[in-house]
Formats: sequence, C-alpha cells, structure tokens
Amino acid sequence: MRLLLTFFSTLLCFSTVLLFAAAQPALAANVCFSCHDKALFTDKIIHKPVAESQCSVCHNPHVAKYKGLLRNREGDLCYSCHKKSKNEFAQGVVHAPVAAGNCSACHSPHASSEKGLINKDLAKNCLACHTDLPKEYKQTHKPFADGNCTVCHKSHQADNLQLLSDKPDALCLSCHSADTLQASHKDYPLALKDCLSCHNPHGSERKGLIRNFLHQPYVEGCASCHQGTAKVSMATCLKCHEKTGQELQANHSHITLQNGNSCLNCHSPHAGDDKALLKHRERQICNSCHAETLALYRQTKFPHPPVKKCSVCHESHGSKNLAMLRGGGNAICVQCHETQGKFTHPVGPEVLESHTGQMVTCVSCHNPMGTDHKAHLVQEGKRALCVLCHRTY
Amino acid sequence: MSNKPACWILKTVLMFTLVLGYYNERAEAASPWLWDRVLKQDLVQDAMRMPTSLYIDADKELYYIVDSGRNRLLSFNRKGELLNIFNAGKALSIPFDMVKINEKGLWIVEKGRNSLSYIALKEKKVTPNTLMYKGELVYPDRIEADSGLLYVLNKATGNIISYSNKLEAVNRFSCSDCPWGFVDFKIHEQKLWALDQANKTIRCFNLDGKLIKTFELGSSVNFPVSLAIEPTGFIYVLDRQKRNIAVYDRNGTFKYRFLEKGIARGQLYFPSEIRFDPWGGLCMVDEGNARVEIFKR
Repeated sequence: MRLLLTFFSTLLCFSTVLLFAAAQPALAANVCFSCHDKALFTDKIIHKPVAESQCSVCHNPHVAKYKGLLRNREGDLCYSCHKKSKNEFAQGVVHAPVAAGNCSACHSPHASSEKGLINKDLAKNCLACHTDLPKEYKQTHKPFADGNCTVCHKSHQADNLQLLSDKPDALCLSCHSADTLQASHKDYPLALKDCLSCHNPHGSERKGLIRNFLHQPYVEGCASCHQGTAKVSMATCLKCHEKTGQELQANHSHITLQNGNSCLNCHSPHAGDDKALLKHRERQICNSCHAETLALYRQTKFPHPPVKKCSVCHESHGSKNLAMLRGGGNAICVQCHETQGKFTHPVGPEVLESHTGQMVTCVSCHNPMGTDHKAHLVQEGKRALCVLCHRTY
Repeated sequence: MSNKPACWILKTVLMFTLVLGYYNERAEAASPWLWDRVLKQDLVQDAMRMPTSLYIDADKELYYIVDSGRNRLLSFNRKGELLNIFNAGKALSIPFDMVKINEKGLWIVEKGRNSLSYIALKEKKVTPNTLMYKGELVYPDRIEADSGLLYVLNKATGNIISYSNKLEAVNRFSCSDCPWGFVDFKIHEQKLWALDQANKTIRCFNLDGKLIKTFELGSSVNFPVSLAIEPTGFIYVLDRQKRNIAVYDRNGTFKYRFLEKGIARGQLYFPSEIRFDPWGGLCMVDEGNARVEIFKR
C-alpha cells in the first residue's frame, strides 16, 4: 500500500511540474496588432507562431528580462520549439552566432521572403559579420560574386573547418571536373590535391584565383623544393628559414601534429594571402588544434575580449615561456594595458612568487584568456587571491 | 491521517534528491590518491624554472628533475630532500628529458641543441649527438631506456625510434591511422604505451614495433600530454588543459578523474609529465608550479 502511495505521489509530483512547465500564456494577436502594424509581420514566409497570431509564445506582453520583451534568451527561446536543432548545432565546428545563440543574426523571427526565414540578401548578411573579406576581388570566384556562400559553407555547423560542407578538394571537384583540372595543371609534378594551397576560393588579384603572395621557390620552379615525388621535409624549409629553426629549439614548440612536415600545419608552401603564407586566417589556424581550449575560455564569465591575432601574445614557432607566451607576461599585457603597467602590484625580475620562485607578472594574478572572476583574476579578488602568495596575512 | 500523503510525497522527493546527489558526488570524488610530498627547491631565488621531466633511479632511491628553465638537473632522495644540483659546468642548453644508464653517465635531451647528449658524470663532459633516422633529422623529445636500448620520441614525426647504445636505429613505433604521431610514451612490462594526442587514443606496442591494441580516451580528456601505467595495469592520463588526471582500467574504460587547477598544494598549473615511482607514488611534474608533487594511495 505504501509502495503504491509512493509511486502515485511521485507521478503526481512530476505531472504537476510538467503541466506548469508546458503552460504558455496565450494572448489574442488582435490586441498586439492594434498597435503594431501587421504588415510588418507579413511576407512570403511567415514564422508559424506569427501566422497563428501567437505572439505571446515568444513575447511577454507586460514585462520581461530580455530585450524585445522576449520570454527567454534568444537561442533558448528558439530551441524551446526547434528542439532537435539544439543538439545538432552543437556538433563539430559551430558558427559563432549559433554558438552564441544569436539566431536572428541570419534569421528573421517574424517573416521573410526567403525560405527558412533567412534575412533578405544573405550574402550581405555574411559580409556584415565577415568584414575582413573584401566585397569583390580583381578576379572573383563566381559563387562568391553571386553571394552564394552556402554553395561551399554550411550555416550552422559542419564537420570541416571554416564550416565547409565537405573536404576542400571534394568541394572544388563538385563543380570543376578532374579532367579539366588536370589539363590546366600540365606541369604539376604530383597528383593534384590541396587546391587551397595555391588558390583563394573567394578571389584574388591574380588570374586563376592564385593567392596574392607567392613563395619565392614556387616562383623559381618546383625543383627548388621537390625532388621527385618525395614529401618535402621540415629540414628543407629550415635550410632557408634558419631563424625559424632557432626559434623551434625551445622547451615548447609547434613541431607537432604533422604528417611529414610541421611547417605545413600553418603555412602554404606555394602561395598565400599574406606575407607569412598562412593557410588560413591566423585565428582559424590556431582554432584548428586548440578549439576545445578556446571554447573553454570563451565559456568563462569573464573571457578576454577577442584580440585580432593569437600571436599578439603567443609565439608561433617556439617559446621558452609557459603557454608559449612571447615574454614572461608583463611586456605582452602592457602592449594594450599601458596604464596598468605603470601602477601595479610590484612585478618584474626583482619580485619573485613565494610559491614558485618565478618572476611576478600580470599572469601571476590574471589569466588573460578568461576566468570566472572580474578582471580575469585567477581567484576572487579579495583575500583568496592575495593569500595565494601572502600566506601569513 | 490527512497529513500522511503529503508526508510521503516529501519523503520520496527527499530520497530522490539524496540518492542523485550521492551518485553525482561519488562519480567525481572516488580518487584514492592523497598528496604525499613535494620535490622542489625551497630557496626562492634559486627555484626551479619550468621543470619538464622526472627520472627515477630505483636502485639508488633517487629522483632526478630536469629543470629546463635553469639548464640543470636536481636530485632528491626518497624523503624529498634536495641532494644535488648539477649543470654539467653550465654546458646544458634547455635540457628537457633524461635517463640514467649507469653510474658513469646519462642521456639527456637538449632542446637548445636539438641533441640527444651524453653526459659523463665524473668528467662533467657533455657530448652532443644529432640523431638521424633514414636520412631525416630527428627532433628528440621524450626518452626512455629499457633492456639496453634507448627509445626516443621524434617530435618532428611523432614516431618513437629505438636506438642501440651506438645510436643506431633499431625499431620504429608508429601507426598508419595516427599520422600526427605521439606526444608521450612509457615502457611497462615489455610493452610500449604511446599517447596519441590528436586522436585521443593510447596505442600499445610490442617492443619489436608491432601495434597490438588501441584504447580510445573519449571525451574524458581535452589536451592529454602524458601517460603512466600503474603496476595494476590502470592507465593514467594527464590533461594539461583540464589540469587533472583521467584514470582508465586495463580495458580502457574510464574510471574517474582527480586533481584540479591551481597553485596550492595538490593542484596543477601547467603540468607536463606523470610517472609512477617504484614505491607506489604517482609523481606529477608541474612546469607552472615549478615542482614535482607525489601522491600516494
């Protein structure tokens, strides 16, 4: 009897909770549209709750914590109906607005002339965020010129870097036939692959979308580096790039994660979009290996505002400092935080941490990538932080 | 009588909460490891700077720490007392890892020279050696010694190569589906265990180079940098980014994790290597905290 009573009371408990959770206050849309012009909410495609005049599914008519009287944070609100998408959009490489729950960066929440409630003129939308991309090139790839970003890129998440819908070579071959490509690369000594090593898929100043900056040996001829079909080793690169070779001889280096030549993790051996012949934009390259680490810091309460390049603080080749920092931790920070460098807790080579005996730097108290404490402090900025070193206080 | 159903509801909810809470707590707090002692240079002005590895001389009951930032080696006894500081007459250039082969000398990886150097201890003489494998320059990283052979992790390929005492290559340890290679390895009971960071797997080889099994580490680790095999066969994986240790049983099933980020006793800041000592201690080299901490069950 008691067992039965326990079972039914638990069931009752859960049912009540579910009932309350599911309840959504409904409100006749006529009331809303008596002030808000209905025409502004009408287009070829109308979001279902709007079409059904259920404004209150998303908005609270009286008061709300969120802008636009939204009932919840934007992303959470969308996922409350689009439940399947929540898990799907969290897999693999995730588009930044999706990760931030900023669905309205691309979608119109009420109505749109485009399928999927996409904001009008998606290409302009992409470039509204991707401001580092030029609007046009001397030689522009047709899909880019037409604003058809989704020919190559996925919008929410993808299994490939840069949200590509397939491996880069496979994408190229989906439009350009292998025979045509082979015919236009008659002198290429190896099997054709890694198209992006030479070509910019958006556009270039050069014919054939060859990237703007050419590696000198590439200009001089393949034999400068290649001998037959053998892979070109890191040693070959370091024959010319002696300084890089020296930089690599450190406690921590980026001689890593490679399949024959570490240099090619980040650099293109033939042509690039900048002088360093980087394969992608720097942040993308770093993210390709350190995605999980970067995501972890982004999730902190006080992440460091994004800097343009990771190499502002970190060495790219090798470093004798922790976390491959460019210096001990002071010189880097004062590049931007100039004022703080002048009035601060004593720092520098004369002041040593009591627990490690190492130089006190900004990084002794702050984690510049981000923490859950204000000002990126490693501990709550009162006693807990100070007693890490000042243990007798 | 009328209060009874309400009382049962309350009891049931409380029971659920307690049971769920207990299991959650248990899942993360099952570590049997307790902090035991620390190996460090107490003199603040002369503290270690970025220690990178630990070697244990079981016969002499000594710990050797490679202090890469100050180009020297420090030896400690089993109690954790500093015995000696050795810099080979200031001849070392960014030492990274070491093995002692006998009383006369030791092998040491010098990153500053990209060399596997031999140090004659009595003479304090350092002999640099540039390693090659099939005509390609080797970038030595981690080293181990076993049965008269030196095992060297080549950072340039991620492969492990065994060398004779004349530095002639004997075997290579690699796998076709791990082109990025390994970041650490240990030799345990005539097997070589290698950590594949990119694929988050552990590969186990026979000492002739034959791959015999693979363990998936799964999402329990983020940025694994070192591994150690307990005499029981349990596998310990150090995560530099999460600053903890993930423990797997001999079948590769995740069991529990322990430790956390910090600079206090028993916490990790920038850990670089883990290793078991012959006396049941689990030693953790922590570059960021400039120390080696030893934990015991």
